[in-house]
Amino acid sequence: MKKNLLMLLVLFLACSVVLAGCGNGNNGENAKNTNTANEPKAEEPKTEEPKAEEPAAVEPFTVSLRHIQIGDAQKNRKAILDDVVKKTEEEVPGLKFELDGVEDSVNRFTKLPAEMAAGNPPKIFDLFGGAGDALKFAKAGRLLDLTPIIEELGIKDKFLNLNQFTLDGKVYGLPIGGSSEGFYYNQAMFEKYGLKVPTTWAELETAAETLKKNNITPFASGSKAAWVPNMLVNTLIGRYAGPESIDGFAQGTAKWNSPEVVAAYAKYEEWVKKGYFTKGELGKEYADQMNEFVQGKAGMLFDGSWRSSVFKDEAQAFALTNKTGYFAMPAVDGGKGDQTFINGNYSNGYGFSADLKENELTAVKAFIKNLFNEEMQLRGLLEDGLLPSIQLSDAAMGQATDPIVKQVLDTYKNAKGAFSHFDSTIQSDVYKETEAELQKLIAGKTTAQKVGDAIQKAQDAANAKK
Amino acid sequence: MKNTLRNPYVYLMFIVPTLVLYFLFFIYPMLQSVYYGFTDWNGLDEKNFVGFENFVTAFSDEVFRQSIWNNVIFILFSVFIQVPLIIFFAILISNVTKLQGLYKTTVFMPSILSTSVIGILWGFLYEPEEGIINGFLGLFGVPDIYWLAEEKWAMLAILITNAWQWMGFFIVLILAAILAVPREINEAAGIDGATAFQRAWYLTVPLIKPIISVVVMLSIAGAMKVVDIVLVMTDGGPINSTEVMASYMVHESISNGKYGYGTALSIIIFAFALVLTALYQLTIGRNQERIEY
Repeated sequence: MKKNLLMLLVLFLACSVVLAGCGNGNNGENAKNTNTANEPKAEEPKTEEPKAEEPAAVEPFTVSLRHIQIGDAQKNRKAILDDVVKKTEEEVPGLKFELDGVEDSVNRFTKLPAEMAAGNPPKIFDLFGGAGDALKFAKAGRLLDLTPIIEELGIKDKFLNLNQFTLDGKVYGLPIGGSSEGFYYNQAMFEKYGLKVPTTWAELETAAETLKKNNITPFASGSKAAWVPNMLVNTLIGRYAGPESIDGFAQGTAKWNSPEVVAAYAKYEEWVKKGYFTKGELGKEYADQMNEFVQGKAGMLFDGSWRSSVFKDEAQAFALTNKTGYFAMPAVDGGKGDQTFINGNYSNGYGFSADLKENELTAVKAFIKNLFNEEMQLRGLLEDGLLPSIQLSDAAMGQATDPIVKQVLDTYKNAKGAFSHFDSTIQSDVYKETEAELQKLIAGKTTAQKVGDAIQKAQDAANAKK
Repeated sequence: MKNTLRNPYVYLMFIVPTLVLYFLFFIYPMLQSVYYGFTDWNGLDEKNFVGFENFVTAFSDEVFRQSIWNNVIFILFSVFIQVPLIIFFAILISNVTKLQGLYKTTVFMPSILSTSVIGILWGFLYEPEEGIINGFLGLFGVPDIYWLAEEKWAMLAILITNAWQWMGFFIVLILAAILAVPREINEAAGIDGATAFQRAWYLTVPLIKPIISVVVMLSIAGAMKVVDIVLVMTDGGPINSTEVMASYMVHESISNGKYGYGTALSIIIFAFALVLTALYQLTIGRNQERIEY
């Protein structure tokens, strides 16, 4: 009897071990399924059809693809990506992409760095250029050298700007589009209060002051994540200290505590004190500032050109649909350098794991060919308002009829040049310091001069390292 | 059979695989992470041994010191505000005769929700313009408070949310102890003329001391390792005012890519938690005599 009981127990244990194993397998499968649950499944049978026809039987394989096109504001971008995925799957026998959508900042600051450290990033992933991301990963040998691929595809010279992805002459990532940042404004509100679209600094401040007097927040802002207010600071520095200062910090030719840079921070401080930004902005997310703006609680919004497609979609912009305008930051009084420069970036795009098998490399090549071409770039511009990263003909560019996109393009035309974001030129330690100090400035805990001094201290320390 | 069992090698045969597994999955990773704490590893490049540099940096790091202080606030709040309230509510519920089950379930409810849900839920309550809390305070003429956006309020807001989440769990724990106390003792005291307060203070509380001691210790341990609620509600902000040790460790190691430094911080957290709980056990915890009815 006892023996039987023991046998039963052992059997039970053995079974549970086996079942546990099964359980894990299933879980893995389920996780995959939920990941792809939102993706169109229509292409599945198609990939199987050719298999049935040619009994040569290609080995089916999957390639992981991390993207950040989740949520309503990104749906146009997602549709383009889906088409590229579908086309690539049709071209490469046996290929199945496994899409994994992750929120932008989670991917950039949490998930991807952890995966890079562990050495298991997805095969294709959304990647930012610059010292803090692409170049850091490239130095550690985690990114695929794309130079031979883009040469083979003949698109090497078509990109407008690959600086932020280039290390020692090799290209490690491809920007999906370009962007600039400026002020969006509520046209109806500007009309109501008789405000002009600001072309000078005085007009901008008059507009802000008038809105403030009428109990409307002049600039919608959500500064819980400090990169959001840093966009405005970045452009202010470009105006006050000149476009070349942005690259100069890391090179040691520009100083954060120089009078010009401090002047930029002082302007920001002045606006904070005057109450031009959203109350309680330190508790608000990036998405909150857009909500505040489309709800008509704020008159202006400093944001990237990548947001322009929101304003032609009634489901997202509500009353503001097609009633939003865009203008670049006007020239500041006493600013250094060319005041027509805008901030222009070709920094967000795709990177690829250095660790690829033969067939995965084929898939990557096909993916690049299908995504980075004139047709897709034009679609990005027309459907999504995303500035192209590949040179397009004037005729193609002329097809852009969306008023905001046209305004964004006009600011490009009127500018003599562009400066990039300092987050792609300065070391990540210094960038963190700019974020911490800016939030202190917003909370009224520090002054512009102290901000400059503190960041310069971090800059000196970072420059001394290399 | 008997001889086999007397053979020491047989025992070894059974023990060794377990020991190997234990070493492989528990001891080795722990030792490895201790080693990382002494390097300047950034997750990508070569690791360099830097000695105690990370630990020295940690204690001169203003934000880390702030986060230690925030953990201390968490501990003080749980022990001196949460625990008395927990006992109060437990005694209150134990005296209810009708619908006791309903009360028990209601107070326990928050403990089964995930912290992310609670963080987001309370985020709505704390919303400055539309949130119910400011709406209520507004009835008394209190101007809008920016709970999660102002340094002076953010920590309190998190403490309240955290207390709301965990109090129910402890209330049910203490309630069980109270209900285990034989009814006769309480009734006898009642006949002797003791008021409800006297019975609670002189009878119930002393009788459930051992379980209170456990609750205090669990609260301390919980306050030492608190992190999720902070990450969900404020992410350590505004300006690091709600950063706790664990959230700072997450930020430094993952977002800032300082894995070596982050590991050093985790070693410090571990040491703190160990010392605190040991101290508690050696001083207060040990003095609890067994109570028998």
